Amino acid sequence: MKRLQLQRWSSSVLSPRARAGSRLHQQLYSTGLRLQSTASPLQSETSIPDDVEHVDIGDPGMMRHVRRVHKRKTQLQYPSPPVDAAIKSPKLAALHARLYLPSRLPVQTLARTLVDASADRNADFNNEALATLGHDLLTHYTSEHLLCNYPRLPLSVIFAAMYAYVGPKTLAAMTKEWGVDWATVPGGEVDPGLLQFKRIDPGTKVDEVSQLQSPRPYAAQKGWRMTVSSKIFYDDEFGDAIKGSAASNEGVTTEMASATFVRAVMGAIYLHAGRPAAKRFFEQHILSRHLNISELFNFSQPARDLARLCARENFEPPVAKIVSETGRKSRHPVFVVGVFSGQDKLGEGAGASLAEARERAALAALKGWYLYSPLNPRVPSSMEEEGAAPWKPAHVDVGEVIV
Amino acid sequence: MPVKGIRTVASARNGVGAFILQCKRLDFHYCNFWASSRGMLNFLTKDLPAFAREHPQIEIRVSPRPAKHPVIKGHYINGHEKAICVRNLEPEDIMKKTMILKEASGDKLKRTKKPVTSVNESVRGIWSPYHGDLRGV
Repeated sequence: MKRLQLQRWSSSVLSPRARAGSRLHQQLYSTGLRLQSTASPLQSETSIPDDVEHVDIGDPGMMRHVRRVHKRKTQLQYPSPPVDAAIKSPKLAALHARLYLPSRLPVQTLARTLVDASADRNADFNNEALATLGHDLLTHYTSEHLLCNYPRLPLSVIFAAMYAYVGPKTLAAMTKEWGVDWATVPGGEVDPGLLQFKRIDPGTKVDEVSQLQSPRPYAAQKGWRMTVSSKIFYDDEFGDAIKGSAASNEGVTTEMASATFVRAVMGAIYLHAGRPAAKRFFEQHILSRHLNISELFNFSQPARDLARLCARENFEPPVAKIVSETGRKSRHPVFVVGVFSGQDKLGEGAGASLAEARERAALAALKGWYLYSPLNPRVPSSMEEEGAAPWKPAHVDVGEVIV
Repeated sequence: MPVKGIRTVASARNGVGAFILQCKRLDFHYCNFWASSRGMLNFLTKDLPAFAREHPQIEIRVSPRPAKHPVIKGHYINGHEKAICVRNLEPEDIMKKTMILKEASGDKLKRTKKPVTSVNESVRGIWSPYHGDLRGV
């Protein structure tokens, strides 16, 4: 597969000319003051150092001071650090090296991934676009990994596993583990190596779903039952209701800003270093995390589910039998119960009462079914590699039991 | 709904995939006048550039601290801070102290009692008194 020349797409981030132009565009649209001026925007931007040269009083110390004041003044007029500040930031260079980011990903883009949309509203300088791409890549790679490795997982467990791998909580934890600090207040003079976002006002309700933004009909109805199937259709990758983007004057929580940053890094790697580097980054930072999928199940009635499953798969109906027991008349009895379908033992569990042991046995049997994993599973995106073996269809299951 | 999912956070295993060095910043403080900083000044001029080049993932700050003994401070990802006073030390010894700070995790020093700690389940399983043959008394 031929790789696109993606470096060109992100050139708007890299050139300071583009920055000055876009800033002025923004100013044009917002205030309209520039319309009365005939001066070219770019020239007026570069004329600032010339003015500094005119203040020639022969004192180099004074000149340095004047330059610094001018520089600070130009920095303060931006909501986020200027592009040329990224090269001089030791924090940013250290972060680049700490994450083993490819050298094709410039520090300027890394600086851009640290600027949240709540800090800088201009889409040319915040990480919103990169985060959108990164979020799609992260969820795509995670979902194909889960579906190919555990084809029989119930959908609610897939949602939980997706949340555990690439949910906002995990991504926020990753930001901390990468040693990224955040600035208290965003601004042009802030070190570009700090995560910059505007904080949400205390007391604001974060989880509120507005009717306008969710595609689900009657989303505002609190007590209504939402089926898992409807979550596939209406909700996001984690089974949560889709919230629209926050209003531009509102801030974001630290968790949201951190998650957006990690997604933006993923998107930036994809754009600058290509798909293999993005996949490698995903495997090293996301898939390498430890998640025990068998702990994500919460059954309400495992014995009933197992009976339905056996009926669907044309097994003999499950029968619970005592395997061994001790101290039936004592204060601490232990029963070991196995669930059998004909001659086959489906699962086994130990408990202090016969009912408890039977539940545990049924649970073990259900987990044994749902956690089936094929040998050497391949994911569809592995076909994009050079010289990949011909594709063999992955195991697709009929789905969970419907009770 | 027959089965619900329980939401958790996948826990990090540093070094299983990528390895993130836990020392994120080293501060070097020196004094220009006190003799206890002589070795530190030599270290800063001769050895520190090479050290910084070898460890780009560490942010390095050098700042004077007049009328005080020289100190190296390490800042760690877990938010902790470790400081080592390097007064009257030679550059080679200061390099050793710097490596101590670089390699530290930032946690308090702990005694490890077992050679291996793992989150994975035992392959052999846990011994159960209720399985296997009954033994006569």
